[in-house]
Amino acid sequence: MRRPAILALFLFPALAWAPSMRAQDTVAPTTGETTLSARGENTGNYNVVQQWEFGYRFASVGGDDGKYRSDVNYGDGIRLLSSYLTVNSRDGHGNWFDEITLSTQGLGNDPYESANFRIQKNRWYRYDLLWRSNNYFNPGLTVADGEHLENTTYRLQDHDLTLFPQSWFRVRAGYSRTTQDGPALTTEQEFDPQGDVFPIFRDTREQYNEYRLAADIVLKSFRLSVLHRWEYFKDDTTDNLTATELGSPIDPSLLSGFSRAQPYRGRTQGWLVNLYAERQWIAANGRFTYAGGRGDFIQNESAVGVDRFGNPQNVQFLVTGNGDRPVISGDLNVTLFPASRLSVTNNTSVSNTRMIGSNSYEEFNNTTFTAQTLNFQFLGLLLITNSTDVRYRFSKKLDAFAGFRYSDRRIRSTEDEAAPASPFQGLSAEQSNRLDAGVAGVSWLPIQDLRVHLETEIGRNDHPFAPISDGNYNIIRTRTQYRKKNYTLGGGYVENYNNNSIAITAFSSHSRTYTGNASWNIKSGLSLDTSYSKLHLDTIGGVAFFTGSPIGGPISLINQESLYISNIHAGNLSLHFPVTAHADLYLGYNITKDTGDGRSSLAAQTTPVGQLLYNVQTFPLTYQSPMLRLSVKLTSKLRYNLGYQYYGYHEEFGLLSVNQSYRAHTGYTSLLWSF
Amino acid sequence: MKWTALLFIFLLPAGERLQGQPAPKPANRYVGSEACKTCHADVWLNFYRNPHYKSIASGKAAPAETGCEGCHGPGGDHVAARGGKATIRTFSTFTSQQTLEACLGCHSKDLSKANIRRSPHTEADVVCTNCHSIHKAATPKFLLAKVQKDLCYTCHAGERAQFEMPSKHRVNEGVVQCTDCHNPHGSYAANRMGSGSAMLQPAFDNEEPCLKCHVDKRGPFVYEHPSVRVEGCQACHVPHGSMNAKLLRRPVVFTMCLECHNGVGTFGRENLGVFRTPATHNLLDPKYQHCTLCHVRIHGSNSDPTFLR
Repeated sequence: MRRPAILALFLFPALAWAPSMRAQDTVAPTTGETTLSARGENTGNYNVVQQWEFGYRFASVGGDDGKYRSDVNYGDGIRLLSSYLTVNSRDGHGNWFDEITLSTQGLGNDPYESANFRIQKNRWYRYDLLWRSNNYFNPGLTVADGEHLENTTYRLQDHDLTLFPQSWFRVRAGYSRTTQDGPALTTEQEFDPQGDVFPIFRDTREQYNEYRLAADIVLKSFRLSVLHRWEYFKDDTTDNLTATELGSPIDPSLLSGFSRAQPYRGRTQGWLVNLYAERQWIAANGRFTYAGGRGDFIQNESAVGVDRFGNPQNVQFLVTGNGDRPVISGDLNVTLFPASRLSVTNNTSVSNTRMIGSNSYEEFNNTTFTAQTLNFQFLGLLLITNSTDVRYRFSKKLDAFAGFRYSDRRIRSTEDEAAPASPFQGLSAEQSNRLDAGVAGVSWLPIQDLRVHLETEIGRNDHPFAPISDGNYNIIRTRTQYRKKNYTLGGGYVENYNNNSIAITAFSSHSRTYTGNASWNIKSGLSLDTSYSKLHLDTIGGVAFFTGSPIGGPISLINQESLYISNIHAGNLSLHFPVTAHADLYLGYNITKDTGDGRSSLAAQTTPVGQLLYNVQTFPLTYQSPMLRLSVKLTSKLRYNLGYQYYGYHEEFGLLSVNQSYRAHTGYTSLLWSF
Repeated sequence: MKWTALLFIFLLPAGERLQGQPAPKPANRYVGSEACKTCHADVWLNFYRNPHYKSIASGKAAPAETGCEGCHGPGGDHVAARGGKATIRTFSTFTSQQTLEACLGCHSKDLSKANIRRSPHTEADVVCTNCHSIHKAATPKFLLAKVQKDLCYTCHAGERAQFEMPSKHRVNEGVVQCTDCHNPHGSYAANRMGSGSAMLQPAFDNEEPCLKCHVDKRGPFVYEHPSVRVEGCQACHVPHGSMNAKLLRRPVVFTMCLECHNGVGTFGRENLGVFRTPATHNLLDPKYQHCTLCHVRIHGSNSDPTFLR
């Protein structure tokens, strides 16, 4: 019995030195401990199983609080950290329902809250609700110098009702709602394209509502699904200036007044029709979808201030218009089983997306009409893909597949910008991209419980759309897993090499990911999980830009290579063990370290351009989070929990002179209770 | 003629699926779930909580589609032999293909499994019981063997490492799930070229999954950023997690923008190269190193072709 384990270790060299696996959760809610009774409590014809965790969470942050809130965001307060409830009828013949399940997390102002609810009555109905709330904070320091700060809340809810869920005829109805609201900072450049950029306060108010109605009909081995959806999007975000903003010290510009209203109303009607059929030797699946999206908008923006030449300015922009995006797609999948060991699958997909937008743009300066244009934009994407995969089972332990994928995409665009009443002089362009790719793979069980999967893909694109697009690429994926009843060992390697070069510039990206993991349930209450991943990425791309001031000169066009090297080591260790008969301890440690190209500081370069590019070639940092959790069983229905988690984020050097390192001490105390 | 033949094929009476599924012996017979609980009391005790109990509760399903024998086949021989794996269909002895076929006997009717036969999971021999545990489920919904994220991380350790980076979607925090973006049973081809679909579950049936939540990025806009629509959000973002802010592929914005906007080649929608920044943009001036400071509507704009407002 020992030989397979040794063999497995040999196959996963990463494990030999890696601090050994299971995802490290956040310290609270308490996972892995329970007061649930396997048998539950019987009440009438129902059985009830439930558990509630109430507690207090705390956080203390040193260093960059904005970055902490962007990455972690836990704060202080009393929470219903988690809850779990199931109610089941014991004979499957409840009066109004046969099953209720409810689970919640973080209710009471955690930044991440969710509730998952289901109620169903066998044969008659099933209703599912998923509600989520996510507090989003991001100072965007390295992206926008801290002037694109967001402090918003996403709330998502999905309601799904299925009538006659076990019947050959099902009706489904659904409603989803997504909102995002809250304060934010954005920036605005006014008066001229080289002028200063001013921070603007934003009141974000976005709302999306979707209604769905569907029917499924199952007749013998056919299944037909028809879905119709109605979607409405509303954006009433406004931008305002709260106080006069001065420009940079060398620039006399200032913004003394600004307001922008930009109400947007979007609506989409969509259809999905799916037909599925199976026979002894064939399975076929056809799908058609249509989504006709449209958005209408008005934008009214006014700004008052002084431009960079010291002239007073009072500008207003009025833009009205609409955009349409009809999307049609169709798919046909056919799988044939000509022999018991052989299957052949063919997929053909066609997708046609057309984006058509037009607006009327008017600009006023000091009440003088300065510009009026009518604009038209069209972008069309027609994509046809076809793939064929053949799979053959040589034996119970070995099967292999090979396939060919073909994609052909046509991109068309037309644009026009004209004064009113002038003739249409649209500028049109068209191109085709063709991608041919071959895939092959093998799944092998060399010994019992050990599975090895190897796969490779080679693709060639005759006209990549962008320099970073897949051009000539090769992918290798391997995965191995050795699984016994109480332990699992796994390992993997993925390599993706993309070379997309042309005469003047080149883009090349080479990523390699090595992973190893192990999980061992040593005995009841004692378990060890560990994983290690190494994610290595090298890219090189050609960049071209200008330096020099249009006023001070001289202006130079720079053609350079931009390098980016990321070398990430990610490790995970978690250990759960009983300290006494009534107390369990959970220790966890998670570290993610990007060593970049090995440098820990920035060396001086000979030229300003060289220095700028050198400074952003790599971004070494360490993000680590050890945690400890103690759970004490007070009674069979009550546990006391106490936990601590540290978050340490350390940048070796700041990017663009910004260093966002922080350290945070977080923890909680709670009661896990069943009654 | 071809169409008539095809129609005829589909109208043939439904046959029992063959794909490696062991056929029960002719003499074997169905005995009903009541017989099973005599020995398997531990399984039966809480089975009324199992979604598969519906078939028993209805009392109307055929013996081959109900209760224990719905999955394990007729139990007559098993009872007669007083147990034993050789006398009944046991999933632990099945090949992956046999497991798949056993489950699809009922579950192929779900729209979400329409592509299961060609999904990368199936091709890699990852089938139903690799993720679902019928009798020892960790979740009451979907009978998952572990909590969803832990289940996916079992094989996808590289993705797990990404979700533990500073900037990430909140999967470990419990507010986002892998199935928000992926369909582990296989999906339709994504509306994009390139390597595989990654089993992405399209938003609104045929758009980027990201747009399910990030609805403000959906448009339609008068001025679309073509790379967003043509290559998708991944042109600039790493969807699982990144060491860089806002899930970006690069730590600072200008390097990412300039890799495309370098003005050379035959790239872009007009085949003239994606235009480079103008001569007025002195990249040594910090203002121009933060491209999105001015180009605030980088995902699409209704009023400005360069996404300034």
